[in-house]
Amino acid sequence: MKRPGRIALFLVAAVSALAAGYGLHSWNSATAPVSGGAEQLMAATLPDMEGNFQALAQWRGKVIVVNFWATWCPPCLKEIPEFVRMQEKLGPHGLQFVGIAIDNRDKVREFAAKFRINYPILIGEMEGIELVRRVGNDRGGLPFTVIVDRKGRLIGTELGGLNEQKLTAIVAPAL
Amino acid sequence: MNLRIGAISVVELLVAACTACALSAAAADDLLAPEQAFRFSARLIEPGLVEVRYRIANGYYMYRDKFRFTAIPQSAGLGEARFPPGKIKDDEFFGRVETYRGELLIRLPVKSAGAFTLQAVSQGCADVGVCYIPVTQIERLVAARSSDDATKSGGDEPDLLRRLRDAPPSR
Repeated sequence: MKRPGRIALFLVAAVSALAAGYGLHSWNSATAPVSGGAEQLMAATLPDMEGNFQALAQWRGKVIVVNFWATWCPPCLKEIPEFVRMQEKLGPHGLQFVGIAIDNRDKVREFAAKFRINYPILIGEMEGIELVRRVGNDRGGLPFTVIVDRKGRLIGTELGGLNEQKLTAIVAPAL
Repeated sequence: MNLRIGAISVVELLVAACTACALSAAAADDLLAPEQAFRFSARLIEPGLVEVRYRIANGYYMYRDKFRFTAIPQSAGLGEARFPPGKIKDDEFFGRVETYRGELLIRLPVKSAGAFTLQAVSQGCADVGVCYIPVTQIERLVAARSSDDATKSGGDEPDLLRRLRDAPPSR
């Protein structure tokens, strides 16, 4: 076989291997989901940016993407514009993003306005940190995203950055 | 034995597979616990001067503007921290930020001649694209009379004990 063909084949092999690796990675997930983690998360009530307490249970029946983030976390900020786009596109199909900021309210407000965040943001602070750990992220790393299906079952957790493609692959079958 | 499958050698396949395993090894799964990524210690190196040391694991870094040091009791009189120059990077969100890798030594003047607890809050990230919630680490320090035996009192404390004491920061 000529060289370009071999390179192409090599690339195909590399991409397949990557895809397999990625698949494993997604399913073995970044953090070991704690049994009952989704229930604990869905039972949480946290203040929104106006200080009104919001129960996560109000979004039950939708596919919920709970994203733990902070304004001091660059990889968190990087993925938010994609979440905003996905909320706009898939919101009508039953997808609901909820951001939980491990941060103080004023900073969160500033960023939420700047990024034109179109989904609810709750302020986590200490309780948010507890919640992050209870859902199985004992390292306390951000961004951390938990995906729950319409029946409240955990269908994915992701520590570190997500993108539209990766997240769509997780949520699409549940929508 | 013929190790070739079509035009692709087994070696090439292995290389391809390992591109995937290297990537997943670098993924967030293998993230160190924050107290291992940012190993903290502190000691009095002379009367009135504390040296704080962070040994930052490879692939991790800390932000200069996120360090907060406090003494308990406050009357121990902690002065302003002196940092070595870090690496300046232009962050797309924060502009100019100063970060540290490898070993970081910070000096803190202190008035106390007695025992006090140093509480250090720090925040760092991993290159794989994960940032840690700020961590609070503490060290009990005792100022001895002579500079020769000025030392920390918690030196023999098992790491686990300290880790158990490490708590998220208060805001």
